Amino acid sequence: MMFGRIAYMELRTGLKGLLIFGLLVIIVSASMPLIFPTYRDALTEGLEGANKVKLEIPNEQGGNITLSWEPLETATSYLVLEDNRSSMVTAKLRYNDTETSITFEKDFEEKRYYAVMAVLNKTSDTVLIGIASTEKGEDPFQELMQNPAYAGFTGGRNISMLEVKGFITFEFFSWWWMLAGLFIAYLSVSIVASDFENKRMDVMLSTPISRRRYLLEKFSAMSVIAMFIVLVAIAGLAGGLANINALGEFSAEAVFLSLMGCLPFLMVIAAVGMLTAVFFQKARVGMGITFAFLFAEFFLFTFGNFSKSLEWMKTISIFNYWDYSSVIIDNLFKTGDFIVLTVLAIVLVIIGIWVFEKKDIPT
Amino acid sequence: MDHITDQEKVIEIKNLTKMYGNVVGVKDLNLDVHKGEIMGFLGPNGAGKTTAIRSCLALIAKTAGEITIFGLDSHRDAVAIRKKTGYLPGDFGLIPSVKVSSYLKYLLSLSGCDSTKKMVSLAKRLELDLNRKTNELSKGNKLKVGIVQSLMADQDLIVMDEPTAGLDPLMQQEFYRILREEKKRGKTIFMASHNLAEVERVCDRVAIIREGQLKVVEEIQALQEKTGKVLEVEFSDPVTIDEFKLEGVSEVQQDNGRFILTIHENLDGVIEAVSNHRILNMSLKTYSLEQLFLKYYAEEEEQERGDA
Repeated sequence: MMFGRIAYMELRTGLKGLLIFGLLVIIVSASMPLIFPTYRDALTEGLEGANKVKLEIPNEQGGNITLSWEPLETATSYLVLEDNRSSMVTAKLRYNDTETSITFEKDFEEKRYYAVMAVLNKTSDTVLIGIASTEKGEDPFQELMQNPAYAGFTGGRNISMLEVKGFITFEFFSWWWMLAGLFIAYLSVSIVASDFENKRMDVMLSTPISRRRYLLEKFSAMSVIAMFIVLVAIAGLAGGLANINALGEFSAEAVFLSLMGCLPFLMVIAAVGMLTAVFFQKARVGMGITFAFLFAEFFLFTFGNFSKSLEWMKTISIFNYWDYSSVIIDNLFKTGDFIVLTVLAIVLVIIGIWVFEKKDIPT
Repeated sequence: MDHITDQEKVIEIKNLTKMYGNVVGVKDLNLDVHKGEIMGFLGPNGAGKTTAIRSCLALIAKTAGEITIFGLDSHRDAVAIRKKTGYLPGDFGLIPSVKVSSYLKYLLSLSGCDSTKKMVSLAKRLELDLNRKTNELSKGNKLKVGIVQSLMADQDLIVMDEPTAGLDPLMQQEFYRILREEKKRGKTIFMASHNLAEVERVCDRVAIIREGQLKVVEEIQALQEKTGKVLEVEFSDPVTIDEFKLEGVSEVQQDNGRFILTIHENLDGVIEAVSNHRILNMSLKTYSLEQLFLKYYAEEEEQERGDA
């Protein structure tokens, strides 16, 4: 019997859902670049705010720093946050008054950042006036972009959000991995677990189809589905970029390769989904675990980017082996990463087959 | 018993034990199914019939014992066995939202069979509409799909788990006819059931299982002969019960003017005694398997109580 009949049946019965999802993918990926001009304008406005805060630093040790800013009419008072990181996550308060300047002693060595915020009438809402840093000639917004939380997406690269490359890297891919990842996780679990839950496994495995063959066919179906949604996303993204005349800046090849890199990434998720499905034989449990796996891998990667001592976390995250930003920024497709994920997916499928062959089929 | 050992064994179960944790599914089961016979596998719900059948098909791993089908190991050679085996599970689902014909053709192709002739003729005989969608079927029609599916690839061994539960009586008759025809064509059928009348009607032999253990394997005819006949007779004139305490009559019950006699031999003498009176109504029946079943278990339980 020809290989592929089970995979074909799976695709045929799931075609409607797949096409609807494909439509969603193409709409979102094509419209994402269309938002970029508006996004850039908004960001530029914000960057201008950086100039509204002036910082004077002493040349000699132990001098005074003077921070001054443009007044805001509606402000009842101003806040100055100080931190050694541009994200101001752990900022300490420096000032709280109606004056539009502040002078204080420079009693530290390292680079510091200041954010000036206006506290508004009545509502006590705050508005950011601007950011300044003690480093001369530095753009604190650029610095913000290199913040570890953002670096997680870019592999620590300096990408300007004012360029379409940066925008796509942050906005498209951070959305894409979740959408595609969750879809593949959901589908790979249900493609197997539904045969258990709907009691189709007895009939299926009473035909001369081995369990290994069954799982390989299901995995093939998942490969075709993953390929389909990746190709749809490529088409959508390329179309959207062409629409804003950005395809020169962001080559069609980069669109293709950056998304192709996620194919083995999705296959690893599919293999995990199928493994949990044959082990637990219940869709809910399988999906819970596969979703948890996906997010755990993401957090490992993010934490791994925070500091050198946590770098080991990165190496055990599948996100580390799908470096879309290197394709987009450096025009470099990492074949080695592609192979690592492909091998991992194959190993997980083999484990899945082994588990399946050991398990009783429930009634 | 020589003729039995001479027969070709299609299924050979030796000391099969299946435990679900500490719960016994099947314990130390020994059973042979011969080529060309219809073997009934009888037992109440939860007796272990399904467990034994699913062990044969390698759907569940056995705890101990050995199963050989067509001379092949049930687990190691599972795929080779399945090429020659059709199976109707006790409970099964269909692929939703496809036509019954595409669903069946799909399974046919998985079995490596490309002729749809038998599928079409079986569907016709069971009055199953192949153009319906699988998710629009009634329970009875769904079962018909299962029956067609288990027989359509024309395999040598057919294993069925409760094939008629939910089938209307007319369809049951047709189903039994189909089974008998399959048997004539040399097919071996192993059928689990808790429907005693059904087993009595179509099976050549029966294995009775209870609480995971095999109680008896017997040819249907021998079993029926062993238990004799039941004569029910009603008279218009007064008759005393003592008149029927004859040789070969094991039990006489009186229900107003009606007498129920259980006869093992000396049918001649009994009829003679009956004919001395005016008969209003009379029927002679074979001891039903159901009565046998109950009696058998009742005896068993009494014995167990006696032992304790």
